[in-house]
Amino acid sequence: MSNKVLMIDGDRISGQDVRNQNVTAVTAIANIVKTSFGPIGLDKMLVDNIGDVTITNDGATILKMLEVEHPAAKVLVQLADLQDQEVGDGTTSVVILAAELLKRANELVQRKIHPTVIISGYRIACQEAIKYINEELAIKVDTLPKDFIVNTAKTSMSSKTINDDSDFFSKMVVEAINRVKTIDYKGDAKYPVNSINILKAHGKSAKESILVEGYALNCTVAAEGMPKRVQNAKIAFLDFNLAKTKMKLGQKVVVTNVNDLEAIRDRENDIIKERIQLIIKSGANVVLTTKGIDDLCLKYFVEAGCMAVRRCKKEDLKRIAKACGGTVLITLANLDGEESFDPTALGTADQVSQDRVADDELIVVKNSNKKAASIILRGANSLMLDEMERSIHDSLCIVKRALESGTIVPGGGAVESALSIYLDNVAATMGSRKQLAISEFAESLLVIPKQLAVNAALDATDLVAKLRSYHHVAQTDSTKKSYAHSGLDLFAGKVKNNVEAGVLEPAVAKVKCIKFATEAAITILRIDDMITLTPKQAQGDDHAGHGH
Amino acid sequence: MNSPVYVLNTAAKRENQREAQQGIFLAVKAISSIIKTCLGPKAMLKMILDPMGTTICTNDGNAILREIDVTHPAAKSMIELSRAQDENVGDGTTSVVILASEILNSSEQFLEKKIHPHYIIKAFRMALDNAIDIVDQYSVPIDLNKKDEVLKVIQSCIGTKFIGKWGSLMCNLALDAVLTVHIQDEDGRSEIDIKRYAKVEKIPGGDISDCRVIKGVMLNKDVTHPKMRRVIKNPRIILLDCSLEYKKGESDTMVDITNEDDFAALLKIEEEYVQRICEDIIKLKPDLVFTEKGVSDLAQHFFVKKGITCLRRLKKSENNRIARISGATIVSRTDELQESDVGTGCGLFEIRKIGDEYFTFLEECKEPKACTILLRGASKDILNEIERNLTDALNVARNIVLDPRLVPGGGAIEMAVSQALSEKSKSIEGLYQLPYKALAQSLEVIPRILGQNCGANTVKLLTELRAKHASNPTENYTFGIDGDKGTIVDMKDLGVWDTHSVKIQTLKTSIENACTLLRVDHISSTSNI
Repeated sequence: MSNKVLMIDGDRISGQDVRNQNVTAVTAIANIVKTSFGPIGLDKMLVDNIGDVTITNDGATILKMLEVEHPAAKVLVQLADLQDQEVGDGTTSVVILAAELLKRANELVQRKIHPTVIISGYRIACQEAIKYINEELAIKVDTLPKDFIVNTAKTSMSSKTINDDSDFFSKMVVEAINRVKTIDYKGDAKYPVNSINILKAHGKSAKESILVEGYALNCTVAAEGMPKRVQNAKIAFLDFNLAKTKMKLGQKVVVTNVNDLEAIRDRENDIIKERIQLIIKSGANVVLTTKGIDDLCLKYFVEAGCMAVRRCKKEDLKRIAKACGGTVLITLANLDGEESFDPTALGTADQVSQDRVADDELIVVKNSNKKAASIILRGANSLMLDEMERSIHDSLCIVKRALESGTIVPGGGAVESALSIYLDNVAATMGSRKQLAISEFAESLLVIPKQLAVNAALDATDLVAKLRSYHHVAQTDSTKKSYAHSGLDLFAGKVKNNVEAGVLEPAVAKVKCIKFATEAAITILRIDDMITLTPKQAQGDDHAGHGH
Repeated sequence: MNSPVYVLNTAAKRENQREAQQGIFLAVKAISSIIKTCLGPKAMLKMILDPMGTTICTNDGNAILREIDVTHPAAKSMIELSRAQDENVGDGTTSVVILASEILNSSEQFLEKKIHPHYIIKAFRMALDNAIDIVDQYSVPIDLNKKDEVLKVIQSCIGTKFIGKWGSLMCNLALDAVLTVHIQDEDGRSEIDIKRYAKVEKIPGGDISDCRVIKGVMLNKDVTHPKMRRVIKNPRIILLDCSLEYKKGESDTMVDITNEDDFAALLKIEEEYVQRICEDIIKLKPDLVFTEKGVSDLAQHFFVKKGITCLRRLKKSENNRIARISGATIVSRTDELQESDVGTGCGLFEIRKIGDEYFTFLEECKEPKACTILLRGASKDILNEIERNLTDALNVARNIVLDPRLVPGGGAIEMAVSQALSEKSKSIEGLYQLPYKALAQSLEVIPRILGQNCGANTVKLLTELRAKHASNPTENYTFGIDGDKGTIVDMKDLGVWDTHSVKIQTLKTSIENACTLLRVDHISSTSNI
């Protein structure tokens, strides 16, 4: 039909049809992840086309592996990914919220309200919501008891597989993050999550996971004769091969005097020997390199009582170098054209040792000035370990956000319910069509507490109504301000004060979640035409080379 | 417009909720039913034909599962489970899979009753913590100095295997080997590296009773030159990892020769080079030279003249072992050889002919920190099976030395834990009670299958056993099933013990894995096969 008029080689859908289709697609995506939401959510098992299995509860990971094809649904996948990068957690809730916003917007459009009105209504609602979170709901961490941060970590793991051991892991996460605390030039505390290395080893049980002071590497010393433990280590970080010197490809040496041949051979051996001697002479007693170390070279290290580790990961090496105050060297050449090893490039550590964990050995770099930590996870099999790693990572991110931003909000649907009441009031003050959009926005936010209740097999309608009434009281009666902290207790099926119960989330995560979800909903809402071109058919062999 | 909207890749197979859970249960059941008959002293072997066309005969749980090609993701996770168990403790690979499957199946009834998996998992975790305490409580310490007792334990652990008939011999081998490679660090850390320092060598032919532990190293090598000495007492050993022949440089070099003399000179340099490195070695007056690379005829000539025996093309791991027993350092440049690099710790070097081949023995070491276990047997298949079993025995021995605590075997400890947990479940409130109790009962699967495999009347046997444990849990906890006769016996009398670490690990991995699988409610497989 229309495509014939327009000469489009493909399909074109427009107007209400495309909106309906987008909403269907987005809802389908949200439906997949929504059962994994909340402390009583379940996991998904995903098999990729090689046959590798992943078991996960993390929204971003699920969506990434689902091979989503619909373009609008892809927006949602990217949204989850964005949330993962920016905040590190809350990926599921952002997808659910965006889908709900879109669904309600579509209903409004069907009632003949122009999408641009809805969009500006959503924008206002989003701004108001963020303002309200920052001004009214956010709680300064200074006013809270010390264990708030442990509780924040616990909340973020509550939906994950490590939930049952969350007491154990939340302490570990908080300890790890405190260990990597650094103060930047502005005097702000920073918590680089990257400095925490997470390693996995089969066996034992999850509770036997350990936090290692210092940086652990999944490598072993290069030769048996090397010391397995070095105190007061001086570490050299190398990013080049310690092997017999070899000319680059395609270069040839032409010798006319036969005696030169021998000299070349000797020189080949000596160049690397001299380099190693430079390194050893500088006082280094631990050598870490990203490349290999030749057997020939190992001997020098063994004789010097030096510990050498080959094939370390480059990122690991950079992090250790940072933690120990060393520099990763890519060459020994200096400006004079000579080779030298500057002792200032050496990093220092209290102890470098090779420790045995399960069937594997690890190199652990320990430092007393506490700038690195490693978590070694143990568990029944690699599926479980992978999921544990994701959970720990999410949790680390959340704790980092909470500490850096310094404000937190109660979890368990508390913020969403409070916002919905507040936005309803805001909507009432609007005298235009935007009022409808804002009140739908307010209604959409309730999807979070509703979904939490549904996943826990509780009466969602009843509970959410109760929750809203608490928040209404909090916002109207100034003597009952503390009711603003009310959230759901999914195990008892009641409404309770979630700040006291220790269900906490960083305010930044909530703000970002609402912002991203609104943006994504708006992006999809603006679409009123979709053109799908038929993919170019691979031309048959006999037509090869003949374009049409 | 009702045209369908394709949101996801339509080629992918998706299972939701109930369907997914049922799929998992089926897959897990299938896996466990394969290896069910491999438990206990009356275990049967499985014959597997792999894609390469070789057959494997084994009753080792991990070895069987490794070879099976499965498609269901849950089945894959079971196989991983068995592998993790093998890596960690090296034993109990069959029971861990059976137990995990039984635990998972025991939870099926609750899912049908619409109890949320979350509650089941929580109950399982509670039970796991308690079970570990109970195992700890029932464990018995063992005195490592009483060799007979340790031997008995190892024997009961490998009693199920093919070599049961030569059991005592194999146990002796395993214990000997482990004690040889056991090193205690200055700060009390024990290190037993079986992988690197206890090498198993198989020589077809001879009798199984000829197997033995060589406190030293055995190599499948002969001397390079027939005139070299074949027996040397207290040899001075030099280990090299460079070749004793002329080798070209790493860089591409080309020589332009313009006159004839230069050519002769070139050849002479090569000869002189070999002579020089040989002189470097000869200076230290060694009796034995080992190298990982080649030895040229010329170098052999020099060595023969000086009465030095030389062996070439060793593996790096072999070289490392020799370094460990003799105290020599592996040298890669001959001009850097020093007196301290020479190893003198070995007592006897001898080349013996076994069957058609020559073997090098380095024995009677002062401090043998590495050993070789020499296995003899009628055919290669038998030898491979013996090796697998010996590895199990070695692991058991290692576990005992590292953690000298025992628990009664023959399903006794499982029954005792099951009994104690059932008792405890009565004090647990809420939805947790039933899954907790179900887990307790699923532990009975081990004694049940032991009974099944020996053809006993399982129902009768199990009820009797349960009654025995219930009547006096603190006294009768050692009662289990005699897997040979199918009767109830006191494990103390029968002498069937398992190591504490294996049992704990089995419980932990199986329960944790069951919990992971229980949490799944959606399976999406994009396999395009």
